[in-house]
Amino acid sequence: MERNVTPLEARAALDTVERGRLRIIEEIDLPAWYWWGLALGWIALGFITDLQHAWLTAGATLLFGAVHASVAPRVIDGRRRSRHLRVSADVAGHHIARLVLGGIIALAVVTIAVSLAVNADGAGHPVTIASCFVAVIIVLGGPQLLATVRRRARAASA
Amino acid sequence: MTAARFDELIHPSTRLSIVALLAAADWVDFAFVRDQLGLSDSALSKQLSTLEQAGYVHIERPVSDHRRRVQARLTPEGRAAFNGHVAALRAIVGSAESELLGGA
Repeated sequence: MERNVTPLEARAALDTVERGRLRIIEEIDLPAWYWWGLALGWIALGFITDLQHAWLTAGATLLFGAVHASVAPRVIDGRRRSRHLRVSADVAGHHIARLVLGGIIALAVVTIAVSLAVNADGAGHPVTIASCFVAVIIVLGGPQLLATVRRRARAASA
Repeated sequence: MTAARFDELIHPSTRLSIVALLAAADWVDFAFVRDQLGLSDSALSKQLSTLEQAGYVHIERPVSDHRRRVQARLTPEGRAAFNGHVAALRAIVGSAESELLGGA
């Protein structure tokens, strides 16, 4: 089967394979512009909602959803952070898109809850304030979420 | 389960490093592989040519932003050979560990 390869050589070769996999795992991420775009869109949507024009809010929500639906499929799987490679689905896992979309739904709930709390407190522009709060979570928490995914991929690889 | 099959073509260290990178991705830019492994353009080209001639790697040259890029991807044959090779390496390590445990 194999030429005279010692167990030590085989171990070293397996380490080489592992290093290659780990290098690619480091590329699992979403582009930074996705998180910033989502955060800015969130704030804009919150601001428009505070204007209290139902049609405007509905239109802005539809526009936000449409833009997100057109952009997200290209990046949300976490396999295309850079233009230098595409991480294989086996390495990245199939759950990143579900994680991100689940996070967005959870943040929508958080936005509503914070808006109600701010509104009850009597502050003006409650949805804008809540959206700014959530936007900070998106910008800071999004990359952290993907760092956790990478950590798990590394652990699964070990 | 992948059948263990030691592959002499993949085994040399540089080539194994290249194939390991490609195996974890759908495709990889030439420049990324070169930079990650610290190879010269000519050294990487030579290794990729060998792998391409064996049918293990497919080289594409898409044009984006008016620049010609070089992308490499493992072919299904290349992926199967890599998986078989890794299984063979594991078998060698595994049998050595078994012998060690048996002798203990």
